[in-house]
Amino acid sequence: MLARILLAGIASTALFVGVARAEDNYRPECFKPAPKNTKFIQQTPKPGPYRIAFVNGYAGNDWRITAIQSAKAWAARPENKKLLKEFKVVSVGNDSAAQIAAIDNFIAAGFDAITFIAVNPTAFDPVIRRAQKAGVVLVPFDNVLDTDKIVQVNEDQFELGNIKARAVVAALQKENGKVAGKILEVSGLPGNSVDRDNHNGMRAELDKYPDLKVVQVVGNWDAGVGQKVTADAIATEGPFDGVLAQEGTVGVLNAFINAHQKLVPVGGDAGNGARIIIAQNHIPGVTAAQAPALSAMALMTAVAELQGHKLPQTIYFDIPQKPNDQLVEGKDYFPNLPKSFYTTTGFPQCAPVFTPQELLGQTPDNS
Amino acid sequence: MRKYRALLLAVFALALLFSLFISLHPRGFSVYVVTIWSNQGILLALAAIAQFFVILVRGIDLSVGPIVALTNVAASYLVHGTPAATALGALAVIALGVVCGLANGTAVVFAGVQPIVATLASGAIFGGLALLLRPVPGGTIDDALSDMMTYDIHGIPTALVILIAVTAAVTWPLRRTRLGLSMYAVGSAEAAAFLTGTRVAAAKLLAYALGGVFASLAGLYVAMVTETGDAGIAPAYTLNSIAAAVLGGVSLSGGIGSPVGAVVGAFILKTVSSAMFFSGLPPLAQPFFEGLVLAIAIVISALGTVRARSRLAVYER
Repeated sequence: MLARILLAGIASTALFVGVARAEDNYRPECFKPAPKNTKFIQQTPKPGPYRIAFVNGYAGNDWRITAIQSAKAWAARPENKKLLKEFKVVSVGNDSAAQIAAIDNFIAAGFDAITFIAVNPTAFDPVIRRAQKAGVVLVPFDNVLDTDKIVQVNEDQFELGNIKARAVVAALQKENGKVAGKILEVSGLPGNSVDRDNHNGMRAELDKYPDLKVVQVVGNWDAGVGQKVTADAIATEGPFDGVLAQEGTVGVLNAFINAHQKLVPVGGDAGNGARIIIAQNHIPGVTAAQAPALSAMALMTAVAELQGHKLPQTIYFDIPQKPNDQLVEGKDYFPNLPKSFYTTTGFPQCAPVFTPQELLGQTPDNS
Repeated sequence: MRKYRALLLAVFALALLFSLFISLHPRGFSVYVVTIWSNQGILLALAAIAQFFVILVRGIDLSVGPIVALTNVAASYLVHGTPAATALGALAVIALGVVCGLANGTAVVFAGVQPIVATLASGAIFGGLALLLRPVPGGTIDDALSDMMTYDIHGIPTALVILIAVTAAVTWPLRRTRLGLSMYAVGSAEAAAFLTGTRVAAAKLLAYALGGVFASLAGLYVAMVTETGDAGIAPAYTLNSIAAAVLGGVSLSGGIGSPVGAVVGAFILKTVSSAMFFSGLPPLAQPFFEGLVLAIAIVISALGTVRARSRLAVYER
């Protein structure tokens, strides 16, 4: 009898847990709700295979080209290939009206889902209405929209900055037994939310330590610009005890090397060039990235939505990152590949990361 | 008939390209596809008419794109609220276009500045103003108004109805009124027009003002399509509007062409882009093919001039 009551108790607890789990969204280890997320979206399932398009805007930099290659590499994997009846990629340039027309054309052509990097955060309300009327799933990523009507995909930019600052602070603590000295912060392209959030994330950690002095220079997310402003900063304000960079870390580190400075703890992006220098010189800190493979995550999200799974309206994928002392040659960095290669080729909690061969086998063309 | 040869060629080319686009499109001919096509086309068509007026009086307007951007940004502040407020806002946006056009015209007519220099400078000012007003894209446009302007009326895209109406509204006076014809006269031979008593200054000012009006209509329509104000849209309009006008048989040396031609030219350009889109051609080759279409069209329209015994024979047409 007692056993039975106990069992019933366990069963009811299990049921309770089950109900609580039902509040979660689909694959919560992968599709994580953003801290600011307030709602979940679930559609009636649609039978596959699906016709999906990726409508890119601007196509003229390494990040965008890698994003296109990542999307194609995802679609080329056998387990995804069978989910897709058709997969198209187009780049329309920096013209919001042209991007809207492209999305409209895919809606008209009967596509099931469309992922895109928005040219403009506010221009897509009308086409969202048309997509919803037609039952087409839209998934914006990277440059997301000011809307709560559709599922959006990104990484937490505040956290991205914060991770880097925490790692540099920890390295200083370990080296000197205290957190003090001068930090160089190389920020991004001014005037947008990504730069602002990364900066705020860094400062939220650094401001906890009154003995840290921060010197900020503007690096425009560009390795060349980063190298120049770092060289200037070393000349006028150096030496530094730590360095933080949003992008273009390879340029920043080269400036240190060229000025014969000691290589100090660094929180930077995960570009191949930066990771090669960091690994070869055993520089403490962390590298973390806004990974171009977000394009593949957007496709995964679109499929999950079409299959009728419940998803957070704003999804933040775990930021791909690696402490500098754990970098492995051939896995985290590739001395035989270009310095501009994006080493963070995927989100391991969601799907196996792409190998360089998988990505480099894809063209950046429309298809 | 010979007078309209360039235009007829352009219309024929457009018909061919449109059939190609429709045959490539998985959905084929449908109200939705034609509406998307019209919404894309009208934006450049209005900018091309703006460019046409300035080119007609032997000018060139590098500020068309910036005026489109500035008026689009203004629309994102002014065009919402009650129907009366919306209408007043739209009128204010058009008035802003007139002011921009007259500023260009004043610099050219009274200060004697070369059009290309005057509009390059004014374009930087208009574009800068737009950026000051909206550093990041935003603003609101009424949803219902946007839908009304960008969908269809009984299967006919609203954009086409609007475009036909405004084109007709300027084409008739251009050929039938003294001021309209004097614009052609000024563009053909300014000195001769002046000596025969044509009001050269008035004709030129009017042309630049009408340029401003049509650029502002383009800015308004961008607001209808995107429901937002965006200062960064200028580059998509300036050079493409010139290309569209030339494609539609408007002569860069002034005095030849029609608003209808500019519209047809704009739709040719947009149809080429749209057809590329489903053709599977690599994106990097697309500008090449667009340029090729443009070059072929210019060669064909230039053939008429080459075969003429004298330039006067061309004007006789």
